Amino acid sequence: MSAPARSRENHRVRRWLRALGGVAAGITLAALGMLAVVLLLNAGRSPDAGISASSGLVSALAGTLWLALLTAVIAVPVGVGAAVYLEEYAPRTRAWRFLASVLTNLAGVPPVVYGIAGLALFVRGMGLGPSILAGGLTLAVLTVPRVVASSRRALASVPESLRWNALGLGATRWQVVRDQVLRAAAPDIVRGCSAALLRAVGAAAPLLIIGAAGFTTFAPASPGDPLTALPTQTFAWTARPQAGFPALAAGASVTLLFVMALIGLVLWDLRRRHGEARR
Amino acid sequence: MSARDEGTRTAGDGAVPVLSAEGLTVRFGEKTALSDVSIEIPRGSTVSIIGPAGSGKTTLLRSFNRMNEVIPGSSQAGTIRFAGGDLHSAAMDPAEVRRRIGMVFEDAALFPGSVFDNLAFGLQARGEEGDLHGIAEVALQAVGLWSEDAEILEARASDLSAEERRRMCIARTLALEPDVLLVDEPTSTLDPAAAARVESLIHALRDDYTIVFATCDHTQAGRLSDLTAYLDSGRLLEYGPTQTLFTNPRNPRTEFYLTGRLQ
Repeated sequence: MSAPARSRENHRVRRWLRALGGVAAGITLAALGMLAVVLLLNAGRSPDAGISASSGLVSALAGTLWLALLTAVIAVPVGVGAAVYLEEYAPRTRAWRFLASVLTNLAGVPPVVYGIAGLALFVRGMGLGPSILAGGLTLAVLTVPRVVASSRRALASVPESLRWNALGLGATRWQVVRDQVLRAAAPDIVRGCSAALLRAVGAAAPLLIIGAAGFTTFAPASPGDPLTALPTQTFAWTARPQAGFPALAAGASVTLLFVMALIGLVLWDLRRRHGEARR
Repeated sequence: MSARDEGTRTAGDGAVPVLSAEGLTVRFGEKTALSDVSIEIPRGSTVSIIGPAGSGKTTLLRSFNRMNEVIPGSSQAGTIRFAGGDLHSAAMDPAEVRRRIGMVFEDAALFPGSVFDNLAFGLQARGEEGDLHGIAEVALQAVGLWSEDAEILEARASDLSAEERRRMCIARTLALEPDVLLVDEPTSTLDPAAAARVESLIHALRDDYTIVFATCDHTQAGRLSDLTAYLDSGRLLEYGPTQTLFTNPRNPRTEFYLTGRLQ
């Protein structure tokens, strides 16, 4: 079979597999989505401290989307940039080894510790208060080391010969990194960023420490608004004695799953496109 | 008569070598890969570098287009001259050097994407704004990968066979119209029939390019090259016309190597 014919054949197989995966993901998402919508409709928009029937998820949902956005916008460029510098540019000195091991260890620090750091640094130190911005910054700081670690692994798995071949064609270091190395590593980088981002979105501990509200009367519309998020809202409801709240907490966790699946789907699609470019 | 004199003498128009190394020593950390190598590559000639594994063949090729300096811990002494100028002078841009002295690596990694993407990369890196498809077509024709429907350009590089990959990697280098072509193990990892076809491609390119290639198949050196250099543990033990070196080697180790008695 000639190369173009092989290309077409492989393409067909890939298309079928993709359609199959799409259907499976679609069914799961639709089921979760329906549950979440029912919950959001059932529960009122203005939650009350003691009345479960009028407690809703709109503000927590908006808070989580804000946090996801802030975390992604800060942690991904910083983390991937740091990984590119460490793997592709920085000379392997003793300082490099020190920095690399510090970053590796930071990726293993429990989220609670980041919460305390965020409380001291952003909420008190920078005077941001228990706001969406303080929460986003805290989650971003927690996410950066994980992004660095996974991106470094992705870059290190690109064979050295790819860099040599690209340099050998008269490309500059930056052209090699931008056009070939990052492109080859893109699927793994996006995969690592997705995992790190989803873990940040699901984290409750650091947000509870910096002071997430368990009761809000309006949905956050800007990063300066009070901090609220799905995981912390879930936690707050489980702590209430009144009947009805346990059901709400269960509903909130389903909604959290749905939102995470949705974000995961968006990132999966991104990865699929990049993965295609690689092959 | 020294080996170098002999090399220069046999070189067609060869008064001016296009590439020459003088007292070239290359180290990687503590390990010496090449020691005190002096060699001249006459313009228009085809030179083979033979020798046992680890003798420095690849290192010598890579020093001709400044590819050793990208390896951390490498150091170099001696001079290399290219077209009359010092290859390492401040005026020489390493990227420019690598375009003019093109190299086909033994481990010829494919770039992500299509065959066209592979050919276009070097051209785009150079800032080429002309007809990339036209240049790619000419380069693919030169290596026998072109077909009239131009479908090959859109094929994924990873769908190519081993032989087609090797041809594409040669085309990638030719697209930049280098003065000198360095080829590391042109036919390694190919089956004998494909190896023979790629070898005849290299043979056809001899008319248009100065070619330096490294091979561990010394019969291939015999078939393809005008001049042969024998490297042994980083030293250039013998360099001269291929026929002379094969039939009447002056160094006993060359003879041992060629006859398979080198222990």
